[in-house]
Amino acid sequence: MARESDAMMREPEEGYEYLVAPDEYLAAGVHIGTQVKTGDMTRFIYKVRPDGLYVLDIRVLDERLKIAGKFLARFEPLKVLVVSARQYGQKPARMFSKATGADYVVGRFIPGTLTNPVLRDYREPDVILVTDPAIDAQAVQEATDVGIPVVALCDSNNSIANVDLVIPTNNKGRKALALVYWLLAKEVLKNRGFTEFHYTVEDFEADL
Amino acid sequence: MEIHRCISCGANLVGTNYVNFPCPACGEMVYRCKRCRKMGIHYVCENCGFEGP
Repeated sequence: MARESDAMMREPEEGYEYLVAPDEYLAAGVHIGTQVKTGDMTRFIYKVRPDGLYVLDIRVLDERLKIAGKFLARFEPLKVLVVSARQYGQKPARMFSKATGADYVVGRFIPGTLTNPVLRDYREPDVILVTDPAIDAQAVQEATDVGIPVVALCDSNNSIANVDLVIPTNNKGRKALALVYWLLAKEVLKNRGFTEFHYTVEDFEADL
Repeated sequence: MEIHRCISCGANLVGTNYVNFPCPACGEMVYRCKRCRKMGIHYVCENCGFEGP
């Protein structure tokens, strides 16, 4: 890990403050991408490892988390919808909702949730946050149809079609998702003027 | 009625084929047409220079 962390870190930037220590990012594996790279995600990729894994830039991730926190804080809490069909993203999504007062849909996203007022699960959010735009494609499509912005956690293999704000991170790892959602919740609350945050990263981690 | 233009391609936006949202960095309103969103075309906020998506 020490060898890897040396390789992953750029020269120390003057005056830049990370949300958490870079080592914590590396320990959670938020920088680990996949062996597939899309053209859309090229600008978020730091380098490629000898084993073929693309490595995401944690500095960009950190900046994007700050920006996304600011962005989501501009909306009413209940008008933010968090979507996660991915198993490891479900608990972090629920905890994010609990911490920030957002709405959530985990597991299967019933078609029509955003477009069909007849459905019992129908809702009208102002912004959606998806864990993986490929897996949560139904939610992204419906958000596009109703004309609301989409914030997405994107890995190196994702397309950014119909996404308005990309958070470049590993969106497959249990610890990575927990850390990203935890930081995002913290940032959202900070931007809403709350100074206290009672949750730990472990609270956001899905069970094995 | 005020007609908005897509921040990436400059197309006139009418009807529902677009999305608008506050710039993630500065809060200035950003308008993106359906095509630019689908193609994942970059946008730059005219107010603060934020580059998205």
